[in-house]
Amino acid sequence: MPTENPYLCFDVPGGRLAFGAGDLDIWAEHLAWCYRMMGIPDGATIAVQDFGSSPISFLGSSLLMPGLRRGVAERIDGRFICLDASAERVTLTPALLAQLAVDALVIREDVLELLSAELRKKGFADLAQRTMKTIVVFGDEPPALNPARIPPSRYFMHVENALLLAPQCVKCECFHLRDGFYDVAGRMIRNLRMPAPAYGLPRGELFPPSHCAEGIRDWCIGWSPRGRGM
Amino acid sequence: MRDTTSSCARNDVIETLSGAQLTAWQTGRLREVTSHAYREVPFYRKLWDRAGVEPGMLRSLEDFARFPTISKHDLVQAGDCWTNPHQGPVAFSTRGTSGAPLLVWLSAEEEEAYIQPTMRGFRWAGFQSGMTALLMSPVWHRLAACEAHAIARLGGRCAFFWGSMGAEFTDSFLHTLSSQRPEFITTTAPFLLSLIRRSHGATSRPPHELFKGVRSVVVVGLPLTPRMREFLRDRLEVEDVFERGGTQEGAAIDECRLHTAPHVHEDVCYLEVLDDAGVRVAPGVRGRLIVTKLSTAGSVFVRYDTEDIAAFAAGECACGCGFCRLKIYGRPESSVLVGDRLITAYDVRMCIEEDPALLGRNVLLIREANARAGVLTVAVEGEARDPAKLQARLREQLGVATAEVVWLGDLRVNWGFRQVLDRREIQLPRS
Repeated sequence: MPTENPYLCFDVPGGRLAFGAGDLDIWAEHLAWCYRMMGIPDGATIAVQDFGSSPISFLGSSLLMPGLRRGVAERIDGRFICLDASAERVTLTPALLAQLAVDALVIREDVLELLSAELRKKGFADLAQRTMKTIVVFGDEPPALNPARIPPSRYFMHVENALLLAPQCVKCECFHLRDGFYDVAGRMIRNLRMPAPAYGLPRGELFPPSHCAEGIRDWCIGWSPRGRGM
Repeated sequence: MRDTTSSCARNDVIETLSGAQLTAWQTGRLREVTSHAYREVPFYRKLWDRAGVEPGMLRSLEDFARFPTISKHDLVQAGDCWTNPHQGPVAFSTRGTSGAPLLVWLSAEEEEAYIQPTMRGFRWAGFQSGMTALLMSPVWHRLAACEAHAIARLGGRCAFFWGSMGAEFTDSFLHTLSSQRPEFITTTAPFLLSLIRRSHGATSRPPHELFKGVRSVVVVGLPLTPRMREFLRDRLEVEDVFERGGTQEGAAIDECRLHTAPHVHEDVCYLEVLDDAGVRVAPGVRGRLIVTKLSTAGSVFVRYDTEDIAAFAAGECACGCGFCRLKIYGRPESSVLVGDRLITAYDVRMCIEEDPALLGRNVLLIREANARAGVLTVAVEGEARDPAKLQARLREQLGVATAEVVWLGDLRVNWGFRQVLDRREIQLPRS
């Protein structure tokens, strides 16, 4: 069923996300749930290095989008740092991290290498690892381990055109497909809250509900240790 | 959504105040902001105690001019001492063009105040209810974060393209442009120029086909020369192009339809232009832009020296809006010192664009190791065109002893916010 009277449209790779009245809060609540699943406590300061048309960015706070009553910052009573993912802005991140201690840096996988190099260049790499969790956002599967990059604390699966947001659980290490938000048939993952194309999981293992107590009714996706970058 | 009725009403009144009434209102706001800063932000308390000023003495704008100006360096050094208890949950970064970037905080209360001038600027630029607006990323800048709110309140739809404002995302922008068919666009001037350049390719559609149906384009990021505005308008075949400006620290300016110079949204910021001695300069005279945000929420900026080079426009605008007008010409990073003259990239573009054939070519200023030699070096894309005439024009209009023009031929330089290169950064072809 298409979104009724969408007033916000975001073009994303391979598709478009359209939101009508009330839609944004459903997804902001889900994103806050994702952060909690990844071990981010309430009250945290979260810095997101992503594009503005990514829900991980625009759901960050009600200040960023009209019609969003409570974004992630308001839901976890935390703070949200907007870091655009353009190369120009990534080079500024080390200096910003030196000014403010953040609890979590959420970063697109495709700019992680650039940031790692910048952190090393400016001598902040160790400091950054000691003081914050780095959450790496990927698409189809977690990137293989790369010693040139700062090691992630968690991964976060985000398939943009399907609005698939699956956090890596602190308990089972798998990626939870939250009950009520996603349905699984074979290897196809369907979004239950948004008219988006179903996503065919190309690799990885799907575990049916009862796999993890953190979300007993969730399906979970697991990858081999190498696939998880370990 | 938040209740906006009272603030809308307040802002309608503000726009109709006489000069004296506006001054009185601003003085009151400055007293409120400085009182809050003195009480709640240790950085300001210490600074003003040392300077022997305090908010209780503030009875006029002349009194306010006795408060010391501050720099980005001061705020970076201040760290937590600059924290405002009401600074809000969202932070944006400055671009760091003049050293370390600064995190600037935004609160709901402050954003509410800034949505009103954003709506005003968009109305001036022709936005009407029912239109679709293709907007900049809301995480790019705190003023960009206000844009979608303003469009929604004006009864419009918002569309966003995937990516950011670099030239590598022009395809993504064009995809959204062709599929969403917006009537209104906000973007950066360098991005638009990159897009026009890209359309020179043999397989690309001409830009005006893609911009069909677009009525207004509002640009930030590069001060528009009159000819650059015409160039953009004609190449894109849009009804009009408007300059919008502002700083993360609180300045907010928008052009009206007369394009005489952007109006300062005086209900949210108090701007001053000072000379190097810290004395206010007359309208028409350039100086350094000093920003005070008229809000006690978010990060507090009181007499913040942006280092921007700006001038107030003299007289009143025929559009009927009583807000003063200000043109921002550039920053030290987009300027070079030649002898004792500070030449901005804007000044050089004004000269170069007198030749219509040079319009749309990227121009870079080259910072020479020895400014005292009095040589202005400018790199211009493309093949040479009347070089002697251009050099003479640069010398005469910019008052420099020697002007050298390097023609870059086929070498393409990305349109960006950076308009000056150090001589040692670039291997220039021989002129």
